[in-house]
Amino acid sequence: MKYTEFKELVIKKAKEAQLSEYELYYMESEDISAEASMHELTKFSTEDNRGACFRCIYQGKMGYASTELFTREEAQRLVLDAMENAAVIESEDKVFIYHGAYNYEKIEEKETTVPQAKDLVNLCLTLEKGFFEQDERVLEGSMAGVGYGKVKVALCNSKGLDLSHSYNYSQLAAVVSVKEGEEVYNGYKIVTEDFNNFNVDLLAQETVDKVVKTIGADTVESGTYDLIFSSEMMATMLSTFFTAFSADAARRGLSLLKGKEGEQVASAKVTIVDDPFYSESFIKMPFDGEGVATYRKKVIEEGKLITLLHNLTTAYEAGVASTGNGRKLNYSSGVNVLPYNFLLAAGEAGEKEEVFKAVGKGIYITALNGLHAGANPATGDFSLSAEGFLVEEGKQKRPVKNFTVSGNFYELLQKITLVGSDVKLNNPEGGVCFGAPTTVVKEISVAGK
Amino acid sequence: MISTTILKEVLYQALSTGADFAEVFVENTKENVINMIDSKVQTINDKVISGVGIRIFKGTRSVSGSVSSLKREDLLACAAKVASAMDGLREGKEIILRERIFGDIHPIMVVPSTTEKSYKAELLKRGYFAAKEYHKDIAQVSASLLDVDHNILIANSEGLLTRDRQIRTRMSISAIASKNGENQTGSHNPGKRMGLELFEEIDPKDIGEEAARQAITMINAGYIKGGKMPVAIENGFGGVIFHEACGRSLEAAAVAIGQSQFAGKIGQQIASSKVTAIDDGTIPNAWGSINVDDEGNPSQRKVLIEKGILKDYMIDNLNGRRMGRKGNGSCRRQSYQYAPTSRMTNTFIDNGTDKNEDIIKSIEYGLYAKKMGGGSVNPATGSFNFVVTEGYVVRNGEICEAVRGASLIGKGSDILMDIDMVGQNLDRGQGMCGASSGSIPTDVGQPLLRVSSITVGGR
Repeated sequence: MKYTEFKELVIKKAKEAQLSEYELYYMESEDISAEASMHELTKFSTEDNRGACFRCIYQGKMGYASTELFTREEAQRLVLDAMENAAVIESEDKVFIYHGAYNYEKIEEKETTVPQAKDLVNLCLTLEKGFFEQDERVLEGSMAGVGYGKVKVALCNSKGLDLSHSYNYSQLAAVVSVKEGEEVYNGYKIVTEDFNNFNVDLLAQETVDKVVKTIGADTVESGTYDLIFSSEMMATMLSTFFTAFSADAARRGLSLLKGKEGEQVASAKVTIVDDPFYSESFIKMPFDGEGVATYRKKVIEEGKLITLLHNLTTAYEAGVASTGNGRKLNYSSGVNVLPYNFLLAAGEAGEKEEVFKAVGKGIYITALNGLHAGANPATGDFSLSAEGFLVEEGKQKRPVKNFTVSGNFYELLQKITLVGSDVKLNNPEGGVCFGAPTTVVKEISVAGK
Repeated sequence: MISTTILKEVLYQALSTGADFAEVFVENTKENVINMIDSKVQTINDKVISGVGIRIFKGTRSVSGSVSSLKREDLLACAAKVASAMDGLREGKEIILRERIFGDIHPIMVVPSTTEKSYKAELLKRGYFAAKEYHKDIAQVSASLLDVDHNILIANSEGLLTRDRQIRTRMSISAIASKNGENQTGSHNPGKRMGLELFEEIDPKDIGEEAARQAITMINAGYIKGGKMPVAIENGFGGVIFHEACGRSLEAAAVAIGQSQFAGKIGQQIASSKVTAIDDGTIPNAWGSINVDDEGNPSQRKVLIEKGILKDYMIDNLNGRRMGRKGNGSCRRQSYQYAPTSRMTNTFIDNGTDKNEDIIKSIEYGLYAKKMGGGSVNPATGSFNFVVTEGYVVRNGEICEAVRGASLIGKGSDILMDIDMVGQNLDRGQGMCGASSGSIPTDVGQPLLRVSSITVGGR
């Protein structure tokens, strides 16, 4: 059955079970994507997925249940399972079904039509062909991918809240391998853009160029270096450690920023913003996973911690208002604390070339590997394999790889000496987007040879 | 889950534009997760994941689609959408579906979904508090108990119709030790293709204590100074390096398009003669085991490397077409929403001939990696990076003080050649392996082994 019909049915079942506080969260997505490699289409897929999560307050606790099947039986099961689950929960957290706000941001959805299969196919075949026109060392197996997605989220609850929001996006990806001698080098680039505005030639050129520049990369001498993180890699560091800014992590002892509001936690060059409406990002949300209105906020201002990110429960515990960061990235998940567009704000050090000039000597970091394992947000420790370029006499010199950069994120925030003005957004990861400019961090330990 | 008549209709619809092969994958999964933190049961979620994935091939061209529904109209619409990406006419082939039963070698004694949640919560609490009460410096513990009842049906235009019911249970406990403003973590997360009888085999208390022991060891450890050195890697989850740095490059998905350093090297020496590596999806009740893969091919035990010589790859039907080979029970997907591809099951380096004590004794100065964490690898170049979650310095053949912050960095093809001692205590550890076809349960494994020289990242 249709969601609207299913929704009515679930509400009816909830009422029959004498529940007075409940919510139904719904998510549907339509994705279409294609990949080309070896001069042919290697993958084409079209997905229509949806799911709904019911939660209710029963005996003072919040029980959850979710489903992808919209049937009569499932409507009944959702209510019964959620109640059974609530009965086993021991958490004394104050739980809320939200009454709603009056000031939801109006976000215009860009009108787009779902692209035709043949347009996707042509686009990725053209891109893949383009790699080989750039450089004869490009290897077969280099891959081009294109995807279009449309997402709708809706939330309704027993307090009369009935919200919905839709957005769409399209992305073009290039993954290129190059062989020189016996050594293989690779890299990728992904662009998020209106489907009709993709510049295929430019992406082929930039990706191949990016990989070719790393040819001949060798390790570095172990020691302590000033690191210049590319905007992409600084954003990657933020994406790895953003839970440090979650009030939920903090109250569990999983962030060392706990209770540090008002204190200097970073160098004065650092301002970090969470912006649910950031113009260049397709992630724009007027309400969070609990129905709270979202807004733009400074998390760190000139090094001072202004606020952690909150949902209704953590805010109640801290005696503040929710920051509208109670998010559900998946319809079935619980309410997590997550940012939207989380950005290290632009500083005054200019474009990367100007930053190189100002630093003089260091390593420009353009790739970091092992992030999901070699970095621990609870402790801040990281030990990551890196790639990049030596910077000497204020200029980008030879490519380097096979070395590790190690340190601690909380210390890194204090060690930021220069922040560029070239903010770029990374590709969104699971509904959150990170961005940063070129950033210099002094005295980081590097293990090479 | 769906009648044979509808399955056939959907297959015919999928073939309507000239595909030479069509497949329907039907899923109905029930999942229950109980989470504890701050000494309390915090959340419980019951989830039903259900829908259909459809794939068609024409030569090596493939199209796939999925829909969150089991209704005939939705399935036919999905098949039509998938078919629309090809442009030809249907070949007049008739489909006759005949059910095949490959048998189930994974007995389940206590089906978790038939057990009260309060009982499951009690099991979890037993593990949780064992960690919490282990030491005064344990500041926080988080724990979860997951059980999955994954029902699948696969039908294809070649007439195959088969099913599997995969029940898995796993307890994960993570402990944080806190001292002088610093945190260190430890974790342990055993799981099996089993019901709740798993906890008769493994006491939840031991799971909690193991997580806490690691955290306490590491909070009292100093940092290691990086550099090149010999490393002894312990059994169990130590096998993650082989999994990531070599296993992935032996999957047909990488091999068939030349994106693997091992492509075209069958019969050649790719590892030291000490190394025999196996992918075995047939181990009874193992976390990564399957009766049939997600294309309906029966699971197999495959010797990938024998005494250093490359023998075989993990192959799915689609990449098999590119390689001129048949699928060997290696095709897997997280759910109907992911197009399946070649993946690992339980992958491990087999026991060798070296004595474990000789391995440690042989190291003058190096690292003993007792517990490995996760890592990542670049499949095209084989470069990898793994974190050592519990490591010790080895001096003059003796295991000395614990060290933090170590990671192992290298290249898959190099490390295989540099394994110069292989011990005899083969054991496996559990992981969730992420790739293009989603996150799937896999075992990694090995005995204690020595890598003669590898870059250790430290600080």
